[in-house]
Amino acid sequence: MRKKLLRTSCLLAAVLVGAASPRPSQAQALKGGTLRVALLTDIVNYDPQQFSSVNFPLIKNLYDSVIEYTPEGKAVPSLASAWTIAPDATSVTLTLRPEPTFQSGAKLTAEAVAASLKKAADPKLGKNLYATMSFVKGWDVVDPHTIRLNFTAPAPERQITDLLQFISVIDPAGIDTVETKPAGIGPYQLAERVVGQRIRLTANPGYWRNGEPLSKEAQFTIFSEDAAATAALESGATDMIYGGTARSAVRLKNAGYSLIQGPGQLVQVFRINATRGPFRNEKFRQAFNYLMDRANILRLGYNGLGEPVALPWAAASPAFDASYTTKYALNLDKAKQLLSESGLSAAEMSNWKLLTNSGDEPSVVISQLVQSTLAKVGIKIELEMRSGSDLVDAMLSGKFDATFGGVGNVQKFPSRLTTNSIYRTTNNPVLGNPNPFPAYVAAIDRVNSTFGPGADVKGAYDNLNQVLVTSAFGIPTNTYDVALLVGAKNVAGFTKDIDNLLVLRTVGFKP
Amino acid sequence: MKRILNGLPRHKGACLGIAFLGVLALAACFAGLLVDPLAQDLASALEGPSAEHWFGTDELGRDILARVIYGARTSLLTAAGAVAIAAALGIPIGLIAGYFGGWRDTVLMRFVDVLLALPGILFAMALIAVLGRSQATALVAVGLTGIPGFARVTRAETLALRTREFVLAVEAFGGSSTYSIFRTVLPNAWSPILVQTVVLAAVAILLEAALAFLGVGIPPPTPSWGEMLRTGKTYLYDSPSYAVLPGLVLTLTILSLDAIGRALASILRESEGLHDAPLAEAGAP
Repeated sequence: MRKKLLRTSCLLAAVLVGAASPRPSQAQALKGGTLRVALLTDIVNYDPQQFSSVNFPLIKNLYDSVIEYTPEGKAVPSLASAWTIAPDATSVTLTLRPEPTFQSGAKLTAEAVAASLKKAADPKLGKNLYATMSFVKGWDVVDPHTIRLNFTAPAPERQITDLLQFISVIDPAGIDTVETKPAGIGPYQLAERVVGQRIRLTANPGYWRNGEPLSKEAQFTIFSEDAAATAALESGATDMIYGGTARSAVRLKNAGYSLIQGPGQLVQVFRINATRGPFRNEKFRQAFNYLMDRANILRLGYNGLGEPVALPWAAASPAFDASYTTKYALNLDKAKQLLSESGLSAAEMSNWKLLTNSGDEPSVVISQLVQSTLAKVGIKIELEMRSGSDLVDAMLSGKFDATFGGVGNVQKFPSRLTTNSIYRTTNNPVLGNPNPFPAYVAAIDRVNSTFGPGADVKGAYDNLNQVLVTSAFGIPTNTYDVALLVGAKNVAGFTKDIDNLLVLRTVGFKP
Repeated sequence: MKRILNGLPRHKGACLGIAFLGVLALAACFAGLLVDPLAQDLASALEGPSAEHWFGTDELGRDILARVIYGARTSLLTAAGAVAIAAALGIPIGLIAGYFGGWRDTVLMRFVDVLLALPGILFAMALIAVLGRSQATALVAVGLTGIPGFARVTRAETLALRTREFVLAVEAFGGSSTYSIFRTVLPNAWSPILVQTVVLAAVAILLEAALAFLGVGIPPPTPSWGEMLRTGKTYLYDSPSYAVLPGLVLTLTILSLDAIGRALASILRESEGLHDAPLAEAGAP
């Protein structure tokens, strides 16, 4: 099995060497210029390991990752021209391209990758990459262009490629100051930034992909209002909106603008704090599987852009199972039955509040929708409105009864789900330590230790899915697009990133 | 009161305002019998005005007219509560400061100056951040911002009355300060306080709406005009009436209170023998 895995990986890498990037065919017909991008929120910092959606506009423009995924989830080379998984799946060896040059002028080396890995493995510095590094034991620099990553235990191929795709290489000379000063190897470099107003990027003259970036300059303008950004696009003052609302995106699409929906969806999850009040009762929690009006949540909250789901997976996930959406559709009778079996009184069932992000329009709408649905089965609750930062604090410290929140990495290897706070198996900030759902922890372990395509893997995924709906501490409702991209009619060449990060290097203007 | 009732018919704007507010108050009182502002009809979301829904429906298919009527209840209750709080604290401060003068006046009016220096909306937002979002918090926040207005108006009127013969006579006959303040000064200071009450009611409604518009007012699903404006703004392309009609009702309410306030001020000035200067004269060099 492992030999087969090795052969497959090598073949895949060999076939794809030279196909440096999944460049759209129409790119040749496009001409460059200055791209004007409307954003609704300013970035937080320039650290590519801080994988917050507010940083999505710049990460792929200032940095490159070790490998990339096609929109279909196939791994392709990027800074690494090849990667070879050891026969026992306990290590992967990367062969780096010699030509990429950092924006500082330094060449890409294995030591530079090692420096980025060191930062990622540091719990204080690794940020969003830290959890993904959990199965990495260490690394060895084999030669200036070869580095080997060693794992704590045999790892499935998808888990390994997920990690490699997640690693953006930072210039070692600027790694300590990367939050305030970009230290990238990507197609653009920072030319100017006025906090809260604009960011200007210019092409990296030493960029290693031939003919890219197509447009030599990119200007980002931060609009505080979605309507203002929309008006700017319609008036020709900007060429695209990145991160606008679903409602505007649908309206603009209907008006003839290009709506780019990447594969990097999030799943909206009704997060339940199973350590509090009535939610300690398993039957009570399970009733919520049937109390979500998923179709209307999707329609009213996200203008229909997405899919109803009862599991925390996007359709591209290997663990995705559409049958659960049908099985756990809105069903008040089944919900009432489970509520009755819970043995809780009406007062006990209503003794909690739904924490709601007052600044997030979809959250406000769907929370009111759920409040209304719950009232139909006798659960009368209040909404507890909090602003975005307060809500994040509450979510990450477990100070809530229930709340809606998107979870990411839902299109990748299933155990990547555990990078989301409510789904963490250890040090879970909501459910506590040790995790009160040992069956869930075991199911994740089984996924991580089951190899190869076949019945065993499917069995591991099926088991995880069943455990998720039984333990019911997270009730998924729908997928939705993070960072929607709407382009003007004369702009083309968009590259869809697996995480929906903005990729400008292939974007240009129609002649 | 008789002076006001006799003078009002000459102020048609004020009469219209009273009529509008009367209808609004009645609708708000009996809203529970008329409509359900929380009933969702998801299939009819964001529909424009129709025979079934006169003001159209919101993003959850709720009747906007029903929510406007319930919103009136929220706004009027907040205004009444805020005015009560502001009057209960502001009038005594003004009376004490104006009647006794000296260090009491200095201390109390500096306190009022501090309150006045705080921007009302920021002060209210800070208070809401500490106490949390609820109608009671909004009411207290708006009420506290109204204290300086009452205190200053009452103090100014008390200062003028303090040296009048009838007040001095009460003192000469051995009347206590408390008696003099509450039985002699206060009954004669009502005119500007009444006008201030109406003015503050308008300010309170506007401030409550502003807080809701900024997302720190009364939490949903409780209807609030400001919250409707805030959400309606988002759907301006899909359903213009969503924001426009609640905004219109809010504007008419403020205009009504303003017209009533102006009329009251005019009537009370006339009764004191003063007359509004014609605009041409007032602006002439």
